[in-house]
Amino acid sequence: MSTESASAIQKSQVDLVDFVDWSGVECLNQNSSHSLPNALKQGYREDDGLNLESDADEQLLIYIPFTQVVKLYSVVVKGPEEEGPKTVKLFSNKEHMGFSNVNEFPPSDTAILSPDNLKEKPVVLKYVKFQNVRSLTIFIEDNQSGSDITKVQKIALFGTTVETTDMKGLKKIEDH
Amino acid sequence: MVLEATMICIDNSEWMRNGDYSPCRFQAQADAVNLICGAKTQSNPENTVGILTMAGRGVRVLTTPTTDLGKILACMHDVEMGGEMNMAAGIQVAQLALKHRQNKNQQQRIIVFAGSPVKYDKRVLEVIGKTLKKNSVALDIVNFGEEDGRKPEKLEALLSAVNNNDSSHIVHIPPGPNALSDVLISTPVLNGEGGGSDLPAAAGGNDFDFGVDPNLDPELALALRVSMEEERARQEAAAKRAAEESARQEKVEEPSSNSQDATMVDSADDRASEASGNNTDPVAITLSMQTPGHNDPSVHDVDMSEATHEEEELAIALQMSMKDESDMSKVLEDQSFVSSVLASLPGVDPNDPSVKDLLASLQGQSESEQKKKEDEPPNDEK
Repeated sequence: MSTESASAIQKSQVDLVDFVDWSGVECLNQNSSHSLPNALKQGYREDDGLNLESDADEQLLIYIPFTQVVKLYSVVVKGPEEEGPKTVKLFSNKEHMGFSNVNEFPPSDTAILSPDNLKEKPVVLKYVKFQNVRSLTIFIEDNQSGSDITKVQKIALFGTTVETTDMKGLKKIEDH
Repeated sequence: MVLEATMICIDNSEWMRNGDYSPCRFQAQADAVNLICGAKTQSNPENTVGILTMAGRGVRVLTTPTTDLGKILACMHDVEMGGEMNMAAGIQVAQLALKHRQNKNQQQRIIVFAGSPVKYDKRVLEVIGKTLKKNSVALDIVNFGEEDGRKPEKLEALLSAVNNNDSSHIVHIPPGPNALSDVLISTPVLNGEGGGSDLPAAAGGNDFDFGVDPNLDPELALALRVSMEEERARQEAAAKRAAEESARQEKVEEPSSNSQDATMVDSADDRASEASGNNTDPVAITLSMQTPGHNDPSVHDVDMSEATHEEEELAIALQMSMKDESDMSKVLEDQSFVSSVLASLPGVDPNDPSVKDLLASLQGQSESEQKKKEDEPPNDEK
């Protein structure tokens, strides 16, 4: 099952980093010298020395708008064993959330990351909840060791775009 | 020019009746608030400012962030003094007001006027500061009025908890002859980051060489500097040439013309230093320096004849300098002669790299002629 899902990622899903609307990307409580592009942008995120780090406490609130409507399939969060994120809540299409109202809405999906996930094993999401995503809010609630600073090395989102869905790709999903 | 939504927290407690700021603390504070509102809305037309009071019967929001300056000034009128300041609640309400601002693209900022004693614990303030930082709200604190021992320390602790990348500031204003608002003008509260606003820089003098701020007009500053250097180099070359001429003639004449050239060079240098030292119109100065250079021989002629009593010898010397340059170049080729002449000129430092370059080029001779030609065309253009 996991190998199938991994192959599904390769075949039909694309890395949505190309569809991120960089002008609207925000991250609350990030350390200004270790900021979100370190984890999100192509090139920076491959460098394990460049992390996104939290500042005042261990929580992070990341807002990612997209240039198109996308369907989100899975997400990869890579981080160090100790300070990598543990509980990650995802909200779709909720703009400008703050730390005070993250707990008011039920998240579209919640993921508790295991050490495997932190080694780039993708987390498959509830696909039905992410069919029509204009923006994604990632709330990192705590980290593995409970330390004051959460570090994230890479955040990658996988899915398809709605307008430009490749018909061949669709076929392949139906195959399995 | 940062797009910002600001909430100003006013202290309207009983402590504000004190008269140590004229006419009373409250009035000084009100003036400062007006000044800040004006500055914020001017720096970016989309900036919004809101006001709330922290004392009285409780924290009360007078206006939510708005671009309408008139509304802000109007609501300042109705404020009454009384009660005790509740800074923690004030800051939290301000944070809430900012959270619900209309334009989510604006940066959030809170300006707190802390005039009465701060009764909170340092720890409480630090927690507040952390929450502000977490929500990326910047905080400016204006510490004035009551001076009790622990207040600055507590406010500094609050500032360091909030401060992210120097976007938050604290200003301590002791009572004094200057109005609160005047002192605020020069602080980062009004000017954001990166130095003074346009008003004080223009009003007060500036330290730049030509009275032109390289930041405001880099091309003009550069052009002035280049023309000044060219003029100086031309003056030196001309002075040297005239010195060679007179030296070639007669030994007797040499000292006088050397002194003459020395005074010429001195006066040129004086003018140069004058131009760089003061704020007098730089363009006029460079132009005036250029005109002697442009009509080089003839003005030298005039000045020199006025300056010394040995007119005839000088006239001859000048005529010789006006004559064929190739004669002079041969003279200039004599390295030792040239250096001795240069050393005798007080305005010219033989160790100056530009002079050394000139000397080196004189050996080849071609560059000196080129330089003269180069100087003339820019002169002609000007």
